[in-house]
Amino acid sequence: MDQKPLELILARNFLTSLSTPAFLVDQSGALIFYNEAAGAMLGISFEESGRLEASEWSRTLSPYGESGELTPIEDRAMTKALRRGRPAHGHYKIRSVRGDPFEIEASALPIVAEGGQEGAMIFFWQHGNNSRAEE
Amino acid sequence: MKIKVWGARGSVPAPGPEMNRYGGNTSCVQLDLSDGSALIIDAGTGIRTLGVGIAQNPSHINILLTHLHLDHIQGLMFFAPCFQAGSQITIWGPSSPEASLEERIARYISAPLSPVEVRELPCAVDFRDTPASEWEIGPAKIRAEAVTHRGPTLGYRITDGAQSLTYISDHEPGLGAPLDSLEPEWISGFDLARETDLLIHDCQYTDEEYPDHVGWGHSRLTDALTFARRTEAKRLMLFHHDPLHSDDFLDRFCETAKERWAELGGRNGAIEMAAETQELEVGPPSRVAAAS
Repeated sequence: MDQKPLELILARNFLTSLSTPAFLVDQSGALIFYNEAAGAMLGISFEESGRLEASEWSRTLSPYGESGELTPIEDRAMTKALRRGRPAHGHYKIRSVRGDPFEIEASALPIVAEGGQEGAMIFFWQHGNNSRAEE
Repeated sequence: MKIKVWGARGSVPAPGPEMNRYGGNTSCVQLDLSDGSALIIDAGTGIRTLGVGIAQNPSHINILLTHLHLDHIQGLMFFAPCFQAGSQITIWGPSSPEASLEERIARYISAPLSPVEVRELPCAVDFRDTPASEWEIGPAKIRAEAVTHRGPTLGYRITDGAQSLTYISDHEPGLGAPLDSLEPEWISGFDLARETDLLIHDCQYTDEEYPDHVGWGHSRLTDALTFARRTEAKRLMLFHHDPLHSDDFLDRFCETAKERWAELGGRNGAIEMAAETQELEVGPPSRVAAAS
């Protein structure tokens, strides 16, 4: 496996230290890391799942709207961050790997290095799981 | 290849009688290549002494800068070839979206910090961003990659024939990363140091000092040793000594490092503390011993 760019290494180190659920994706959309908080939300740790290609994880964790329809890929925060290189935010429902539905907010931030965009970080906030923020 | 250490101190020059054996000059290493030419890595205050000898016989000088913190460029202003009209100097360093390498170095070599400006130097000096891919200087193949430190910072791997040297003078690969268990592709600097013949690596802090310096961009002993073991470097030179560490302190620190190295399964004789004026053939200890 090729060495990761330093920007992705530092992003992973940062996310590892956070209690906010967060994903790290590379420029192809592959899920190359998620932290323990995200693992608790999804019901599977990164150590168990390992790297997931975009097609794999977007199929398993596809977000959907109020009426149950899948959110088009181009409307997802991560897609906007990767394709347009700008921050994006979305409000979705997803299911954990156990099938539990929950409602989340997702904010995606592109990671731009000297040689161009390397990927994105996506931070999640789970509705009903953070009473302090709702006070 | 052969190296000579002209400065092994980190952060700030640390002269004084209690620093004489390891030296008080900041980072500078000379690398003699197989064709008789030389590369200079970093331009801390150690480069001043190096320049005195070079000034007698000027040729095209290549200087590889890891980054532009003062302890890595301070000697440039006192490097004799810079003030000789016949000298030709190429300075390589990290690029930045903010300003060119020359503009950033000129912040130091300009008023009010300096009595001369870069444009006034009589030598022919050329500033170049390091290429993204491997490039060649004489017989050396050089690779530069960004590593974990504060601000844009490079590590270098220099290969000449079958021998390789890796120089990562300022590096905190253990910041937020479990070095002993992390996959190699997620460890800063791993590819640069993989199975290198000689790894010159940051070891500014003891494990006891490190908690007060987390995030400052430097390694504690445990991380320097673990990084070397994970990358399977054949030989390790601990570098960038803290300015508070005296000769006696570094002697004890070296003994501790050797004990810890052995506990990690490292080979006897493969670890040492960098010292000013020290010369070393690049290669595993056994080969060097046989050659001498």
